[in-house]
Amino acid sequence: MRLDQDKVRLVAVVLLLVLLHFGLGPWLGDRRVGPDFLVLALLIYAMRARPGKAAIAGFTVGLVGDSLTVLAFGSSALAHTMVGHLTAWGNAIFFAENLLVSAGFFFGGTWFRDLLMLVAGGFKSGVDLVWQLAFWSVIKGLTTALTGVAVLMIFRRWLNVRMAV
Amino acid sequence: MTFATERYAARGDTLPFVVCVVLAIVARISPAELTEPIASGIRGSILAPFLFLQTYTEDLKSSRSRYFAVLVQRDSLAVRVGAQDALIEENIRLRELLDLRERISGEHVAASVLHQSLPTDGLTLVLSAGRNQGVRPLTPVITPAGLVGVVRSVDANASVAVIWAHPEFRASAMSLDGSVYGNVGSYDGGGPGSGLLELTGVPFRENILPGTRIYTSGHGGVYPRGIPIGEIVGVASERSGWERTYYVQPAVHPASISHVVVLLNPEAEVGSAFGEDLE
Repeated sequence: MRLDQDKVRLVAVVLLLVLLHFGLGPWLGDRRVGPDFLVLALLIYAMRARPGKAAIAGFTVGLVGDSLTVLAFGSSALAHTMVGHLTAWGNAIFFAENLLVSAGFFFGGTWFRDLLMLVAGGFKSGVDLVWQLAFWSVIKGLTTALTGVAVLMIFRRWLNVRMAV
Repeated sequence: MTFATERYAARGDTLPFVVCVVLAIVARISPAELTEPIASGIRGSILAPFLFLQTYTEDLKSSRSRYFAVLVQRDSLAVRVGAQDALIEENIRLRELLDLRERISGEHVAASVLHQSLPTDGLTLVLSAGRNQGVRPLTPVITPAGLVGVVRSVDANASVAVIWAHPEFRASAMSLDGSVYGNVGSYDGGGPGSGLLELTGVPFRENILPGTRIYTSGHGGVYPRGIPIGEIVGVASERSGWERTYYVQPAVHPASISHVVVLLNPEAEVGSAFGEDLE
């Protein structure tokens, strides 16, 4: 019974993040630096799921991204699948119920997603690629991590988050 | 920290991962003719309510901006006006867009830009107008400042446009007096945030001065003649005695676009809409 309740709460938080991604996004200014609620939803789910399910969730989120940018279809799916799977696997090692470790996952996951997607899609190269990853993706990772920490703090009871760092 | 190997070791976890990776790679290497219907299907089904939500939010944001802009106009205090710079700028952009629509003689439709948080947002844009509004693939997308790009994929109520920053972007270009012709494409390797285009194929004997404005020439049948592309900022390279390549500062920056006009009739005359008297 408790397990079912936890699942429902997790799904509710993930759905809320998906709605925020499309509903709140336009208010957040430059999307290059604003938090990515979709990848945040994926990471929060992946940290509480088995690697197989996390990979499927990542693939699904990636397909959504691919359908919104018709060039290099599949690069987003590949990137999100890897991020989802590795996050679930990493959680098995580091136990990301801890707030600080979770923040690290949010930052690293967002940055790594950008890296994989840009490389797999061949969207940028050379200095542009380095600049994107060293500047824009770092800021996006930080804002996503901060937003993720805020989400975990707000929903700490629903998501069983340990507040001690 | 404890390594929970049993969580990862299960074959049931590895198999879905491998299948997803293989599917993603297959999708990546598949031709666009196969993948675009899939993308279109996702946008038209699962994503449709979310894109509607985003369109609604964009409209709400614009309405709110306009409302506050009107308040600001009625406000006589310069300090308060100064504090609303962003809203005034938004209002100015919308007014410019309305003016542009009145000046364009050909069939066209206005659309909101639904910015995405993916790193590709600077290369493609999701627009809130689609097939039902008359948008078709290869229709040009413009703003009051100039050329944005071209529609690549169209759904019922949304479309995806490729903008000038994408490596595949090409447009036939010319100077205002029609004396110099060339091809404009995105400039790759300009360093951090260069955001430049390059004008190639200019005969060596033609010397274009910095500050010269570049327009679409109308050749190729995609972009109508006379849409501002950008401004020459300098010589990029020279092939001695043969041709020159110039850097072009684009007229439109992708991050600043909130609303656009999609030209439904690429053969329409639009040069006068930008206040230019083309030769």
